[in-house]
Amino acid sequence: MLKYGLAYGLLSSRRRARQMLLPAITTATGAFLVVVVFAMSAGIKKQSASLGHADEIGHAIVLIAVTVLLVGVVEVAVATTRTIAHRTRELGVLGATGVRPEPVLVALLVEPVVSAFYGALGGAVLGAVVAFVLQALGLADSGVSVGGAVTGIVVAVLVSLVAAVVTSVVPTWRAVSRPPIKSLSAS
Amino acid sequence: MTASETVAPTTTPPAVETLRTTRGGTFGRLLRFAAANIRRRPERFVLAVLGIALAIAAVTVVRTISASFAITGADSVTRAVGDHAIWVVPAAGVEYDSKADALVAKGAPPALTLPDGWTGHQTIAGLWKSPHGHVAVYGDESLSGTQATLGTPLADRLGVSDGDTLSLPGQDVTVSVSGDSPILSVAPDVARAVVGDEGWWTADEPAKDEGRKDLGPLFGTAVGLPATTNPSETPAADGKGLVYDMTTGSGELSFAQKYASVFSGKVTNSALGLISIIGLILGFVIAISSFLASVQERRREFGIMSSIGLADEVLYFFLVESALVFVASWAIGVVGAGIAVWAVLPHLATPVAWLQASATVLAFLPAMAIVGAIVPVHRLLQQRPVALLSDS
Repeated sequence: MLKYGLAYGLLSSRRRARQMLLPAITTATGAFLVVVVFAMSAGIKKQSASLGHADEIGHAIVLIAVTVLLVGVVEVAVATTRTIAHRTRELGVLGATGVRPEPVLVALLVEPVVSAFYGALGGAVLGAVVAFVLQALGLADSGVSVGGAVTGIVVAVLVSLVAAVVTSVVPTWRAVSRPPIKSLSAS
Repeated sequence: MTASETVAPTTTPPAVETLRTTRGGTFGRLLRFAAANIRRRPERFVLAVLGIALAIAAVTVVRTISASFAITGADSVTRAVGDHAIWVVPAAGVEYDSKADALVAKGAPPALTLPDGWTGHQTIAGLWKSPHGHVAVYGDESLSGTQATLGTPLADRLGVSDGDTLSLPGQDVTVSVSGDSPILSVAPDVARAVVGDEGWWTADEPAKDEGRKDLGPLFGTAVGLPATTNPSETPAADGKGLVYDMTTGSGELSFAQKYASVFSGKVTNSALGLISIIGLILGFVIAISSFLASVQERRREFGIMSSIGLADEVLYFFLVESALVFVASWAIGVVGAGIAVWAVLPHLATPVAWLQASATVLAFLPAMAIVGAIVPVHRLLQQRPVALLSDS
């Protein structure tokens, strides 16, 4: 049944591509910063050293970049609550026709996962491209690390996916476990 | 019974029952209305608060670091110059050594002859790379050859206590520990033996020039050095030095405050500041997005209110909801930032800096809360009540 839920979620997410744009952009912004911070870590360390307390400032920059990524991902979950509110009656129909909550949950989680994944991947790749363009233009004095960029991309995508699922699963589960009559009678 | 007979009433007419109003006045009712709406979609409230709180935490961490730097900058310049009117630094300038936690000169004090009537003295101020780390050593004319004073944190770092002997290059000194100064003060000759001929001049104006606001240019012209009141200005590399005018007019920032802002600006203008501001913008986007979603779901409710002439009240509803979201986010964000700072930056940030940063971030909130409420309400009020009511 889960694969049907997945297919249903993919089809409905294609229909709602426009609504997924804003969460994808906010996630992309956070992912962009994470990749730039990881790729240009040498330059950032140099700047941190000029402020003193190089290690502590360096850790703070990574912490804040990841925090900003999480802020971007929260918009994914806010968009999910909007989707759920919009599709309350549809959830009621699915429940009333005997569809179990698990595949409906999977179907509803497709949208946040897709927005988080594509947003994070797009922002991360853009971040890496910008870092290397800056290096090519001679604007990154301390160079750009390929390893750092790859680490940044992996961190951005993984953190976005996990955060999107964790923040979206509770409102989604609450919606799918509601009695169908309540969902159908919602105004 | 005749018509003229009157009938005595057997029961008293029922008293007009007044509708009970809810307690708490208008603001109390608005709060309850906002709370009821939050209960209707608790997950959205939690997510909006979480997103904004994360953004506020990021900004608070950066502002805490920045405020710590400002405090450090102000303290270091006050320790270096005291309340003197003029500070003359070498051509190589001065720098704040973060390991020594103090300002040190990067070259010899400029050779100059004090103008008539001016008082001043040279201070040896350099860096000693001791076995226990960097130590700022200042010459102090009030100390004899074997005396040294330092604060408790530095004494702990050097492993000495009050009355102990400290071995300096070429001389042993007896330390006197008091206060929290990160500077090792010794006699000028001892300081020169440890750090070389590095330092600066401090000077004060004669009584006849007291109160003048152009002491810097006056002194600079007399000794042939450029003068400035701007601490971010550094001496020309090919010059002889630079005169900093430390005097402050009424209502102006003191030199130490200006120096502090130069220090804090290093943080807010760095990658840290830029990233945190982007985070705050994203947090604001989440707030707007959440309120817009709320507007979309409550179109009929607002349609009814608009149709009975309560269009303006809709703004008050959103202002109160927005205020609740932002205040909750701020409270969670600053506490989260405090924990993050304590865990990641224990040596860098202080509780005072965290409080300052929390207050600074609080100053942004009213504007964000008001704009966050106005945007969705403006969008709502663009439509006629009938359009709102007819939507499915």
